[in-house]
Amino acid sequence: MIIRRISHYISNYENIMPLFAGACAFLILIGILLLPIQYNPVQLYPKTIDRNSSLDPYDRGGPPFTQVEIGAQYPENSPTAGLVTTYLTPFSLFLSQVTLHLGTTIVAHPGGIIDEILYNTRGLDTVVEPTILFIAFAIASYLYRKG
Amino acid sequence: MTNLAGVPYYILEFGDELVYFTPYTITLFLLALTFTIFVLISMPERQVDIAFGGDAYTTKVISVSEMRFRRFMAIACGLASMGAMVTGDIFNFTLFTAMVGITNVGIVAAVKSPHVQNAAYQYGLVALSATVPLFGGAAIYAAATGSLSMIELAKGALPAVPFVAKAFLVLGVIGEGMAPFYAAKAEMFRAPGAPYVIMCSLSSLLIFLRVIEVVMLG
Repeated sequence: MIIRRISHYISNYENIMPLFAGACAFLILIGILLLPIQYNPVQLYPKTIDRNSSLDPYDRGGPPFTQVEIGAQYPENSPTAGLVTTYLTPFSLFLSQVTLHLGTTIVAHPGGIIDEILYNTRGLDTVVEPTILFIAFAIASYLYRKG
Repeated sequence: MTNLAGVPYYILEFGDELVYFTPYTITLFLLALTFTIFVLISMPERQVDIAFGGDAYTTKVISVSEMRFRRFMAIACGLASMGAMVTGDIFNFTLFTAMVGITNVGIVAAVKSPHVQNAAYQYGLVALSATVPLFGGAAIYAAATGSLSMIELAKGALPAVPFVAKAFLVLGVIGEGMAPFYAAKAEMFRAPGAPYVIMCSLSSLLIFLRVIEVVMLG
């Protein structure tokens, strides 16, 4: 009987969203009750924070074209990781030298350690992420044109 | 490596992200691959509506542009399912799962039926909000264990994965695949054009089977 009632309730697809929201709220409540979650200090891709650097937090320090340790999971799979750590264009270099914060904004795009992680050690993620974005664009543009 | 659903036959390395083929993952992968090939080579069905009490019937015709778009989405969904089946990285798995969710919406979004589109809209809202527990779960995995590699988690040397991280991951997959809530999908299945709509169901079944293995790690 109870199964019949439940299945009757969820057979209306407009009830699915409130049901899912309720499940999320319930689980978040359980998550709060189970706090604290122990943080593991040994993390992949560690970085140092230097608030006085104009390239913070992307500045890994050191001269260019010397390989640095970036703390990958499988360093043997990424033999060239840590070589390209910063590639400032002349404009980015100018911005990073005259201001404290503009050197790391989208107008400057400093690259560096973040790109090392994205393109060298976690390249598959970088491929899948824009794929999701392009599929979303494809759906939106199809619906718009069909409109 | 005991609870990885078998010893991997082959490990493909993408930097820190490993793709591994165990007896379990390769079975799911082949299932997704086979169905994707079916989608690739088959033509859509033509739904027939019969009016009761008379001998009138109508055949729904799918336009070529609609068929092409839905086939494209179904193939993308198959590829995302294949990726989710064999990836050995938690974050990568969540990305592929999110891709399955959005392609599922895309498969039926092209259908010119208000009822189907309404169901797809509701499902899209769930898939959208499911990304929060999905990626939140992956983030807790990374924070608590310091690793995202399933192979490292399976070794048992890392700290235990918190229960809430696993629960978030499962809830995210439920939202993306609507695994036990097929009511909305049943409404979406009124859309003409098997086998494309069947890909919605198959992909969510596959990602649900895979997440069972994922939460058993660590």
